[in-house]
Amino acid sequence: MFELVKALNDGAEVLKTRSSNPISLNAGCELFIAFVTLFPHDSVNFADLKTKLVRQGQQYAAEALGYRKKIAELAVGFIKDGSVILTHSYSRVVMKTLLLAHERKRISEARPRGLGIKTAEALTAAGIPSTVILDSAVAYVMEKVDFVLVGSEAVVESGGLINAVGSNQMAIIAKAANKPFYALAESYKFHRLFPLSQYDLPNQNARIFSFPATNSTNEENSSSVASISITQEHISQNNPDVDYTRPDLISLVFSDVGSLTPEGVSQYLVGMFAG
Amino acid sequence: MPVPTNIEVPKGAFPATNQPSQKSMTKAERRELQERQRAAKLAQKSSAPAVNSGAKEPVTPKPKAPPTPKKFVDASGSGTNKSSVVKESGASASTAVDDGAGGKSMSRGLRIFSHFGLPKPAGHSVKGDIHPAIIRLGLLFSDFRICGSNARCIATLTAFKTVIQDYTTPSHNTLSRHLMTHLSPQITHLVAARPMSVTMGNAIRQLKLEISGSDIDVIEQDAKDALCQKIDNYIRDRIIIADEVIQELAGKKIKDGDVILTYARSSIVEKILVNAHEEGKRFSVIVVDSRPLLEGKALLRTLTKTNPPIPCTYALLPALPSLMTEVTTVLLGAHSLSANGSVYSRAGTALVAMIAKGHSVPVMVCCETYKFSEGVMLDGFGKNELAPARFSKATKHSQPLSPAPNLEVLNPLYDLTPPSCITAVVTEVGLIPPSSISSIPLALGKTNL
Repeated sequence: MFELVKALNDGAEVLKTRSSNPISLNAGCELFIAFVTLFPHDSVNFADLKTKLVRQGQQYAAEALGYRKKIAELAVGFIKDGSVILTHSYSRVVMKTLLLAHERKRISEARPRGLGIKTAEALTAAGIPSTVILDSAVAYVMEKVDFVLVGSEAVVESGGLINAVGSNQMAIIAKAANKPFYALAESYKFHRLFPLSQYDLPNQNARIFSFPATNSTNEENSSSVASISITQEHISQNNPDVDYTRPDLISLVFSDVGSLTPEGVSQYLVGMFAG
Repeated sequence: MPVPTNIEVPKGAFPATNQPSQKSMTKAERRELQERQRAAKLAQKSSAPAVNSGAKEPVTPKPKAPPTPKKFVDASGSGTNKSSVVKESGASASTAVDDGAGGKSMSRGLRIFSHFGLPKPAGHSVKGDIHPAIIRLGLLFSDFRICGSNARCIATLTAFKTVIQDYTTPSHNTLSRHLMTHLSPQITHLVAARPMSVTMGNAIRQLKLEISGSDIDVIEQDAKDALCQKIDNYIRDRIIIADEVIQELAGKKIKDGDVILTYARSSIVEKILVNAHEEGKRFSVIVVDSRPLLEGKALLRTLTKTNPPIPCTYALLPALPSLMTEVTTVLLGAHSLSANGSVYSRAGTALVAMIAKGHSVPVMVCCETYKFSEGVMLDGFGKNELAPARFSKATKHSQPLSPAPNLEVLNPLYDLTPPSCITAVVTEVGLIPPSSISSIPLALGKTNL
């Protein structure tokens, strides 16, 4: 049994190193390992247990695919006719919700932004009016928006959210404008992690917000001033992929276990893992 | 082991000749009067042949420990109760009132906080069959020699182990029924020395449960051994191992180059910092401290003794706002944690947490789950404890604060930090937001000793 857990942990490590963004992957692995170790299994021998675990794992994966539908059902009630929704980047669960709302004859306007050109294209194809706005224009459009709807990379123990970078500033602006900020997350994205700050997230690369070493010698300095050119690559290297949104900025988290407040999420997580 | 009781002053034994009639006095005034009468009687007795010191001296190792009447006079002289004996011992700092002014000199401050109760010197209240180990512990508690809720809980449980081993069940009785009646006066004695900490309360409740559950048919010695084993397990699982897990969890949040701020001294914060330092992390510590206990100095001593020493800054509470801008994380200890997530800790902690929140610095409170209490606290006023006045003695630089008829020195020991000022609580089951404390099964006492 101990060996099995160790093997699972090693497997999770390998997966983590291969993935560019392992936070949600990590959450999934953790859930499975917790399931193996914490729950009582009534199997007579190890082989039996093994097949059982594999079967349960596959069953869970199959079920999990249905979660998005379930979440969409929960969230769709919040979308009214003619509501304007601001979303961010691309999230399958957000798309599912918006399309479902559209199917049910609800006309809404979605405003994806930044990297969400993909979202905009899909929405337009489905006949939902959508406009793409710039990251920097979020505060400008917030007045006209009814609520903000984002997907998630992971939901952490504090009840906060880890999502594509930019979500945090949207949440802050939404809070300042008194607009609700909803997140959609499948329960397998609930993660036993407690970031204290943005810099406390796992797998941060150290270059974020590190200032380039300045040249101390005068002659080099004068020559480098002329030759400074910032490329796109340069920027993306020094920028984070995800950010952390504090729980007090989030109105509700829709998940397949129900619509939870951030406190509810953290209680669910504590109850699940802190045995 | 029976110890002769020496004082049982019946009410009205000393008619209050120079006092206003008892009816017109407030409750606090009446209590004060009673204390004084009791003390006066004791002072008389001290000239009489040794009352009970002979019975105790062989078993109490510390010279300070035997609660002889002489000791009592010293203790009262240092101001722990308001008695007229103070004049004889000539102590400067005390909350004593002189006879002429009578109960009227009780100032407003203490009238508000009178429900906290003043710590009494332990010696005079030895009533009934108190084990010497408990008497010794009571003195250590009232003297603040053993301070901090973990240390007090461990000391109490260890003393109870001795009590249980020395206990014999009387005939026609069973251990599971009778032992608790034997322990109750011991607990009462400890509470009289200093109000019980939440940790002690939790541990004693668990102990009671174990005693009542012990099998009647087991041989007495075996039952006693089993109980001692259970106590050992409790100390190991809920305190020592829990501390190790907390050290590891909190250590992960300390990074190179961090500036950690802590307040006063918490045993667990001390361990976390030393442990993280041993792991090779390079960080610096700001120790914020405050009178009257100045416990931060002890922490500072430990931190600077490491090799290489941890870079430390020592500051008093008024300097906090200017230091907070430099801080990356605030680490705090706790006396107890209530069900709504508020932290009951050394007075001044709330201030530190609130200022940290104002600067959006994350505040981590380190607390084992056995410190959780099921009640809900709304402020630090309903329940608190007052520091004995001897802690407000003069320092080199300041005048002694001597209470006058219109001046009372007030030192509450604890305050309450609201959950909104706390980012995370570090427990042995993980980092938990204060709002979710109540959903931890361990906190609800669902596990065994």
